Amino acid sequence: MNRPAALAALVSEAFEGLLRARRMTSLSVALIAISIGLVGAFFLVAENLKSVVETVRDESTLTVFLKSAATEADRADLEGLVQATRLVTKLRRVSPDDARARFSTWWKSLGPAARSLPGNPFPASIEMELDPAAVSSEALPPFLRLLAAHRATEEVQFDVEWIRRLRGAVALARLTGLVLAVLLMLGAAFTIANVVRLTILLHRDEIEILRLVGAPELLIRGPFLLGGLVQGLLGALVALAVLWITTRAVLAWVAATKNALLGVFAVRFLPLSTCLLLVAFGLAAGLLGGALAVRRGNLAG
Amino acid sequence: MTFQAKRGEFLFLTGPSGAGKSTLLRLIFHAERPTEGQIIVNGMNVSGMPASRVPILRRSMGIVFQDYKLLPRRTVLENVTYVQKFLGVPAAERRRRAYQTLRLVELHHRLSALPEELSGGEQQRVALARALVNEPVLLVADEPTGNLDHRLASEVMKLLQDVSVRGTTVLVATHDLDLIRAAGRRCVTLDRGRVVEGLVEAALPPQAQAKRGEGRLDGRDGREPRETRGEEAP
Repeated sequence: MNRPAALAALVSEAFEGLLRARRMTSLSVALIAISIGLVGAFFLVAENLKSVVETVRDESTLTVFLKSAATEADRADLEGLVQATRLVTKLRRVSPDDARARFSTWWKSLGPAARSLPGNPFPASIEMELDPAAVSSEALPPFLRLLAAHRATEEVQFDVEWIRRLRGAVALARLTGLVLAVLLMLGAAFTIANVVRLTILLHRDEIEILRLVGAPELLIRGPFLLGGLVQGLLGALVALAVLWITTRAVLAWVAATKNALLGVFAVRFLPLSTCLLLVAFGLAAGLLGGALAVRRGNLAG
Repeated sequence: MTFQAKRGEFLFLTGPSGAGKSTLLRLIFHAERPTEGQIIVNGMNVSGMPASRVPILRRSMGIVFQDYKLLPRRTVLENVTYVQKFLGVPAAERRRRAYQTLRLVELHHRLSALPEELSGGEQQRVALARALVNEPVLLVADEPTGNLDHRLASEVMKLLQDVSVRGTTVLVATHDLDLIRAAGRRCVTLDRGRVVEGLVEAALPPQAQAKRGEGRLDGRDGREPRETRGEEAP
């Protein structure tokens, strides 16, 4: 037997079968795309939340607002304290004037109001950029307490709780995505199985003839299995395409709104590994559906 | 029951309706399994054959049905070469073999026609070409002329006899006595669990012989047919 030629014939037969049952194939691909699209949407949300966490964590600065009465010696003492630890990578003084200028830049519409106030309400501060490892370090809480207890400190601001909650949300979205993936993959597999089963019913006579003329069992079952795989693959690719277009649309909308808060969300698409995972889901659903459909009961000789 | 057919022999299988002609053919190509006994085709024991070997058995034989069993959405050429395609036979070789076989049945000019565009006789000739394209050692035909008029039936029978001349054993199940008489070949008659063979006149009960003009064997006259070969079924 010329195996490559036989395989090529099998593949062409599978595609012919799908094209012949165009409507059913389209419906099946659409249902699989919806299933995988939902899973992909969860992964996309998780991915972007993760991205926010990373952004916030990377850019998170620990800010110590100073008392107005703090002297230069107090500030130097505080900076000495900070430099003695290895938790901080960069340290920057922010004067009340710098703080007001920054506020006016960030919140353009509120800038004139800030400038119209009598005096400068913004306190001086020291901003510290933490080492990325320091955020989850056990040494951080005692360090924060030390800073808060310093005589020059008015308030210590660090959004560690918020970051922890975001991380929890990321984990939840991922877990939900995975559970949903398994459930929807089973759903997609049953969809494919039913479509393939209907195709088998439509071709029952042909299958009987093929058996009678001595067609190998691989030839009889192969095209249906391949058909399932192709439907799963197409469903996954359609879902990825829709998700990509949606992501681009959200990006364009964010860019158009020029909203400073939304700027935090640097919307990004799924990484290649997740895309491949979704394609694998589609293929697995297709293979499972095809295998369910060509069980001996449905293709009995 | 026991009977044998030699390589290149042409023989009829006949008997009243329900005598088991079709069942016997189905046993030969393993569409049914015997509860006991042996069926040997070209040295292969069909009775105990595992399912995985059945396609190989069927490819070593050609099967022709009364209702042709052609793939309706495939052309004449595709019908004849369909299985070969999946056995990896190159396209040029498939086409060459199909053309030669279709030429034998005089349908080489209808390669791209669909079954529905052909007459009954032409469809049966396509089925015959499909059965012959693998050069089978045995060709079994179950009422191959059942749906054809007398002229077309004679044409198909002529083709089947030509096939046996080329070295293929041909076993034709029919109850069309005119065809059997016209061919004058060995005839295995099934009746009441016995195999009766010989020329059809010898096998027929007198009542049926008296109705030769009607040309159908589908009743019993209550007399024992002459047993020429075979054993009583257990």
